[in-house]
Amino acid sequence: MFKRNRVKSKNKGGGLRVGQRHFILSVTIPMILYEVIGIFALLWAFILIFFKYSPGRAGGPILGLGGSNPFVGLQHFQNMFTGASLEARQFRISLVNTLIFAFVVLVLNLAITLPLATLIESVKSRYKDLFRMIYFLPVLTASVGVAEMWTYLYDPQAGLINAILRALGGTPVAWLSDPRAEFFGISVSMLAVIIAYLWADYGYNLVIFIAALQSIPRELKEAAMIDGANPWQTFSKITIPLLQPTILFVCVMTMLSSFQVFDVVQVMTDGGPNHQTRVMVLDIYDNAFRFQRMGWSAAVSFVLFIIVMVVTVIQMRVLRTDWEY
Amino acid sequence: MAAQAHKSINAKYHRRRAHITIGTFLKYFILIFGVLITLLPFIWIILGSFKSAAEIIQVPPTFWPENPTLNNYRTILNDPKLPLLRFYGNSTFVAVFNVITTLFTSSLLGFLFAKYKFRGKNILFGWFLLLLMIPGQITMIPDYIILSEVGLLNSLWGLVVFSATDAFGVFMLKQFIESLPNELLDAARIDGASEWQIYWRVVLPLLGAPLATLGVLNFMGNWNAYLWPMVVITSIEKRTLPIILTWYNSQHGSNPGITNAATILVVLPILFLFFYFQRWIVRGFTMSGLKG
Repeated sequence: MFKRNRVKSKNKGGGLRVGQRHFILSVTIPMILYEVIGIFALLWAFILIFFKYSPGRAGGPILGLGGSNPFVGLQHFQNMFTGASLEARQFRISLVNTLIFAFVVLVLNLAITLPLATLIESVKSRYKDLFRMIYFLPVLTASVGVAEMWTYLYDPQAGLINAILRALGGTPVAWLSDPRAEFFGISVSMLAVIIAYLWADYGYNLVIFIAALQSIPRELKEAAMIDGANPWQTFSKITIPLLQPTILFVCVMTMLSSFQVFDVVQVMTDGGPNHQTRVMVLDIYDNAFRFQRMGWSAAVSFVLFIIVMVVTVIQMRVLRTDWEY
Repeated sequence: MAAQAHKSINAKYHRRRAHITIGTFLKYFILIFGVLITLLPFIWIILGSFKSAAEIIQVPPTFWPENPTLNNYRTILNDPKLPLLRFYGNSTFVAVFNVITTLFTSSLLGFLFAKYKFRGKNILFGWFLLLLMIPGQITMIPDYIILSEVGLLNSLWGLVVFSATDAFGVFMLKQFIESLPNELLDAARIDGASEWQIYWRVVLPLLGAPLATLGVLNFMGNWNAYLWPMVVITSIEKRTLPIILTWYNSQHGSNPGITNAATILVVLPILFLFFYFQRWIVRGFTMSGLKG
């Protein structure tokens, strides 16, 4: 069972003691048993995508599959992309919305955090910590709390945002409930949710960028300055290239978490108005636990899983090649 | 030649100084503007939580409360059937329980993977990390059915049974324990300590900093969790704080002041935690690539 020789040479003739073997077994066996549940759940989730399944119906003897929970093969996937049923249309809407959400969040997040981190990094150190702390506060706030806060800020009557708009002479907007309002082809409700999400999330990337900026040697920037580079040149020619691995890391992490957005959307709009903010995890949740279409829901989560895995694999590839030099 | 070069650097230096003042002004202007954007939502709900039921729905809204009142806090803290304290209890139970199991399993498995050699170790470790990299929504449905089969639906235990291990925690503590010298463990062995005693008496006391980081991150994640608790818990009195927050909102839709007060009370413990553990939290977030 154990590689005695290797241990022996390491312990200088002590060998693997009985006590050590007991310890290894008594830790690994419960761990393996516990993880088997996880593997089982994963396989089960995979099997479910081929069935029409609802736990309420009487099914076959094995995991309640078969019987009134029939095997449908790849029909769910065919339906998703070509079907005309309500759930198929909702799926396609949620897929597009999720991609829009993730993309807009990514672009805006980087456009805010990278310059802001550079600014914070360039101020005196006693202010630096203060700024960093304040900017980090939203990250600590429970996402449901964030959603409640912003729902109140967006309130058409009593909200602060419309109050400011009115004071400036504008007309109030029903930010979260007007299905016709849009801005550059993206519905206003979606943008409103994106802004709340950005507010809650940008402190995280900010902290990562600050940490990365601190690891860049001062001498490099000073040398560039002496050679006559202006601050913008130093930023674009020295800082950005050296930050590249961090930027890629941040991109991928931001994408991954925004593909899985749920809390903020569910509380603020619950997918409305008119499905304009319906995202994939909300679709998964609704189908599984509101409409009891668990087979369908498992198939939707499988699509989400594929997207997440593709992004993760790209991340690993890219990060590996970049960290080598 | 050299003197000339020196002079031109000097000139450049002085020129830069001259327009740095405008730059500095702009820099602080942007940073303070950002601080305002970041703090304004907090300030707005803090002020809102002290407004009376009539004032808070006034159009246009007031900024400062005209007659500050504690009624909103009283309403949720003294609710005869559902006092907020009960939900603090629920959330604390789930978060503390999960933190303790996670710290225990992460340190034990980290120790095992860092300091022992046995066949299949790398496969086990790789498999372990892979399994835990998979997003939770994927196994949500089977997990839900398992809970319903074993009768743990609508129970706080349902929120802890699948959370006993944490890939990031194992990975982080493995890295840390690998840096501890083997001589330390061998010395304890010579003194007759069993492997469990080595784990408990030698390794664990050296893990203060990484355990604090991991514990705080894990606590936050559990305290703020929303989707899974919403799936598992159905009866009102067993809910955790984030879910009861949305419930307060649906009950008192006409009085956002109550939701504001509840939001503040839910967020406050995490903020206290942050001020105590600031360094560890920031470090942990930077290392983990995990988000709350």
